[in-house]
Amino acid sequence: MRVLLLRRLLTAIPTLLGVVILSFVLMRLAPGGPFDGERALDDDTRAALDAAYGLDLPLAEQIALYIGRLLRGDFGPSLVYRDFTVSELIAQGLPVSLTIGGLALLLACILGIGGGLWAAVRAGRWQDEAIMGLATLLTALPVFVTGPLFVLIFALGLGWLPVSGWEAGRPSHLVLPVVALSLPFAGAIAKLARAGLARALNEDHVRTARARGLAERQVIARHALRPALVPVASYLGPAAAGLLTGAVIIETVFALPGLGRYFVQGALNRDYPLVLGVVTLYAGLIILFNLVADLIYGWLDPRMRAE
Amino acid sequence: MTASRISLGIVAIIALAALIGPPFLSWTHSAIDWDAVRAPLFSPGHLFGTDTVGRDLLARTLVGTRVTLAVALAAAIVALVIGTAWGAIAGWVGGRTDEIMMRIVDGLYALPFMFVVILLMVVFGRSIILVFIGIGAVEWLTMARVVRGQVIALKERPFVTAAEAAGAPASRILTGHILPNVAGVALAYLLLTVPQVVMVESFLSFLGLGVQEPLTSLGILVKEGADDMDIQPHALLIPGGVLVLIIVCLTVAGERLRDRLSQ
Repeated sequence: MRVLLLRRLLTAIPTLLGVVILSFVLMRLAPGGPFDGERALDDDTRAALDAAYGLDLPLAEQIALYIGRLLRGDFGPSLVYRDFTVSELIAQGLPVSLTIGGLALLLACILGIGGGLWAAVRAGRWQDEAIMGLATLLTALPVFVTGPLFVLIFALGLGWLPVSGWEAGRPSHLVLPVVALSLPFAGAIAKLARAGLARALNEDHVRTARARGLAERQVIARHALRPALVPVASYLGPAAAGLLTGAVIIETVFALPGLGRYFVQGALNRDYPLVLGVVTLYAGLIILFNLVADLIYGWLDPRMRAE
Repeated sequence: MTASRISLGIVAIIALAALIGPPFLSWTHSAIDWDAVRAPLFSPGHLFGTDTVGRDLLARTLVGTRVTLAVALAAAIVALVIGTAWGAIAGWVGGRTDEIMMRIVDGLYALPFMFVVILLMVVFGRSIILVFIGIGAVEWLTMARVVRGQVIALKERPFVTAAEAAGAPASRILTGHILPNVAGVALAYLLLTVPQVVMVESFLSFLGLGVQEPLTSLGILVKEGADDMDIQPHALLIPGGVLVLIIVCLTVAGERLRDRLSQ
């Protein structure tokens, strides 16, 4: 297992480096720049701005400088939010995004695993069909439809929860964004958990446990549950990536001050350092989540540890 | 089988309406009716009402659906071509080539791919052609994995060995014996890729990074509807409903077909 993790870490470094270099080159290929405003700048001003932001250096040198600064945790200045560095924007926005994403992942796991296992135990009956139909529907619901829909129903219509915004320490602001974000992932996890338990219940060691006369509840809890959750664990990496992506929409819909909103603003305004910083950071986070998912995988399936 | 037939039927009806419907309406999707701003549902001349600047919502929904479906189909075909070629070569050649090619796929899987698409949009400008090239270029990964698995399984089958023994060149075995057998599964994944792309395109358009005005798409309509939903909720519910219906139906049909072929 340790060897496996080490190997994963070693492949993670060139992947990250590749992302940074590719994104950087792409960004520089772009026609137009952040200083192309309504008024054309005269040549001297433009040259001074380019020099101040290091845009006049050769490309390779710019990349080397950027990676050097990244290693020191410096993502450079934001071109649009002039008074902020990208690191400061990340420090402000990331905690909000991680709170929403983390809570949504937790809720998705609870709903998905619970629903999936319940359906598998009742395989072939109407409860099974109903849960699986619901799961398919949930995975197909885009967050940019459910988000506004929830606001319409629960905030504007019923008035139970706030429409949007963020106040630290007020959990009522979190309910709608977290639920809307978690639903598609809850559906996907439910499908995986159901398939996992259905397969596990057909295995030899489970038949042996039943033959020994154990109660069905004990058979599931002690012998079938761990192998049943293996497919769910392997989905956690992609789910984390999807949650970070979905958070971009959720933050826009609910006007939350998260990193995703800064990212969209940066993308609309060609704020190179900001977009580049967020892409690099998220690539790193997703690689990290995949490593954690591998650890959980190894804990659930001993065969993985032996390799 | 019936569930997937009904699903495909629903999508076919929506697609047909979007394709041939707009010329029969008295308003185009961008024409402004100054006498009927924010017309409610079922008002005369505007079956679905109008938006905040008086554009007919029925025409906008039909044209938006057409654009969304066209982008999705084009991007899914790009993904199909790249994915099939990549997976077939990796699976057929095998060995180190296979390992390197699949490592690249693994590496790309680890990318925050929506962010990369947004990066592409920022770099190359927000044009509709680039929307689907960008999406297609990242959506091929699953297709490559699936096709590779199929090709490796088919390689060991007697009819391929027989073709090899008869001296057929590799290119003929691939195009004549292997790819036709991969086609069914590839088609199932094409059906599953289309709703994925619909989702991505709407996602981008919702944020203002995808399809641009005066053209419209379901993502743009959902965004406009969401901005105005406290006054007229149907402006959100109609395009949102069409979008969900398309995604659900294609997913159901694709999953049924995939499950049937993998048995």
